[in-house]
Amino acid sequence: MLPSSLAVLVTGAILGGLALGAFAWAWRRGHFDDIERQAHALFDERDYRLERPWESPAEQEERRRLYGEPLAPEPGEWGGAT
Amino acid sequence: MGGRDVSAAGPEIPLHEEIDIRLRADASSRGPVLFAFGTALIWLLLGTVFGMIASLKLHWPDWLVHQGWLTFGRQRTAHLNTMIYGWASLAMVGTSLWVIPRLVHRELRWPRLATAGIAVWNVGLLVGFLLILGGRNDGLEWLEMDRYLADPLLVIGGGMVGITLLATLAAREVGHLYVSVWYVFGAFVWFPVIFIVGNWPTLRGVESGAANWFYAHNALGLWLTAVSLGAIYYFIPKVLGRPIYSYQLSLLGFWGLAFFYALNGMHHLIGGPLPTWMITTSIAASVLMVIPVLAVAVNHHMTMIGRFSALRYSPTLRFIVLGAISYTAVSLQGIFTSLREVNRITHFTHWTVAHSHVGVYAFVTFALFGSMYYIMPRMVRREWPSEGLIRWHFWLVLSGISMYVIALTLVGVWQGLALIDPMVPFQRSVEVTLPGLWARSFSGLLLTAGHLVFIWHYLKILRGPAPARKIPPLHEARPVLYTGDGEGGSS
Repeated sequence: MLPSSLAVLVTGAILGGLALGAFAWAWRRGHFDDIERQAHALFDERDYRLERPWESPAEQEERRRLYGEPLAPEPGEWGGAT
Repeated sequence: MGGRDVSAAGPEIPLHEEIDIRLRADASSRGPVLFAFGTALIWLLLGTVFGMIASLKLHWPDWLVHQGWLTFGRQRTAHLNTMIYGWASLAMVGTSLWVIPRLVHRELRWPRLATAGIAVWNVGLLVGFLLILGGRNDGLEWLEMDRYLADPLLVIGGGMVGITLLATLAAREVGHLYVSVWYVFGAFVWFPVIFIVGNWPTLRGVESGAANWFYAHNALGLWLTAVSLGAIYYFIPKVLGRPIYSYQLSLLGFWGLAFFYALNGMHHLIGGPLPTWMITTSIAASVLMVIPVLAVAVNHHMTMIGRFSALRYSPTLRFIVLGAISYTAVSLQGIFTSLREVNRITHFTHWTVAHSHVGVYAFVTFALFGSMYYIMPRMVRREWPSEGLIRWHFWLVLSGISMYVIALTLVGVWQGLALIDPMVPFQRSVEVTLPGLWARSFSGLLLTAGHLVFIWHYLKILRGPAPARKIPPLHEARPVLYTGDGEGGSS
């Protein structure tokens, strides 16, 4: 008679092992290096330059200083008809 | 705001090439994404109808009782399965297929395989759904679909989609994996493991119960939650044009989920015939979840703080931010509910139903609605035709789910207090739930109306009366080049 906990324990160990393996792989491949740079991996240049109407003048000026002249958003740019 | 020196991973890429990469990524995933979204909405409609009928039956118990397939047990089960495996899973597949190519800067590999996988998944789901209505199910919560006829098709179909995503990841052009990539791939690795174990045919009795709740809880935490958090981590910074507040915290959240979550499910069996140490371990693991949950909550809040006015402009952000808030709420509520002293009141009550709807609806479904609002115009190159319809959709579903959760949470507590009081007759514990059940049905009507609005709007954007969206701007605006010194300029 197998203990009632066996299936859960074995699967929990498999999932934990998978997580540990992935963590070790990521560590060795440098995925935890240069963390701040990774935070920008989803952006392209256009994302930085779009003029966002909700931003304060100071924020818009900062964006202009860092990324150049702002670009006008397309209609529906922010995900929906606005 | 981050400086230019951290604005891109890998070598600096000329702007027009960035746009080309994005266009190619979107074009490659277009077919399977639209197929996944389209079929997800069909299941959403079906699931809504069955949910509505099941809800009404709770206070009209003599309604639609003369045919087996219309009875509560089958209607409610059909509702759950169509919503989880139809609507949520397929919408998540569509979102994953769209977001991964963008994040790894590659076209989706083998999109036809992904489309075929989605078709196989749908066939499996249809078979399972019809069998449930026909009275044949496996009798396990969240695993009711037939394990021999339906479930293998889900595994094969999901596997085909997973292979295309894995192949796309393997061919990636970026060095770093953004946190959304971790979440999505975690989900596609975890789900087949837990699904197969949950359906393992040799498990019997208590062991089957343990595996059942191991699966059911992890289906929420390691499948639905993982992809939805991946979407949230993509869309909040993307719309704001600012990186997430702390990338370290986002990784802490992901790895915390990966290491701590798997053993949480046993807290559903508090009071059941399982070894006490198993339950206690599960409660401890549930409490440990407070670390990754707070990491995610703080990160999302600090990213949004001072920028909530963006919600006025972005329907995507409106849904996504509410989804993120709901993630925090449902997680903290889940930790609270896993404590023995709380669970002895809330177990077997409508509290649990409310809790699961905060998770699957207010968190997951809101995140998916927000994702679809962002993705669809980029897929069909047309804007959503009506701002008004988006507003109606948002307010209908928000008011509906709010009323649903508040009503069932309250009557769940009353019900639980009545159930554990030996001086109170059992009938009384049923009667106290009636106001909540009426409120639930009314809120179901609001949710149904919201879904109909969204589906109608989806059909409108597909047919295309709205102005066509231009090619993403700057496609031809050559060149604005990175110079690598923090200064950019056009020439």
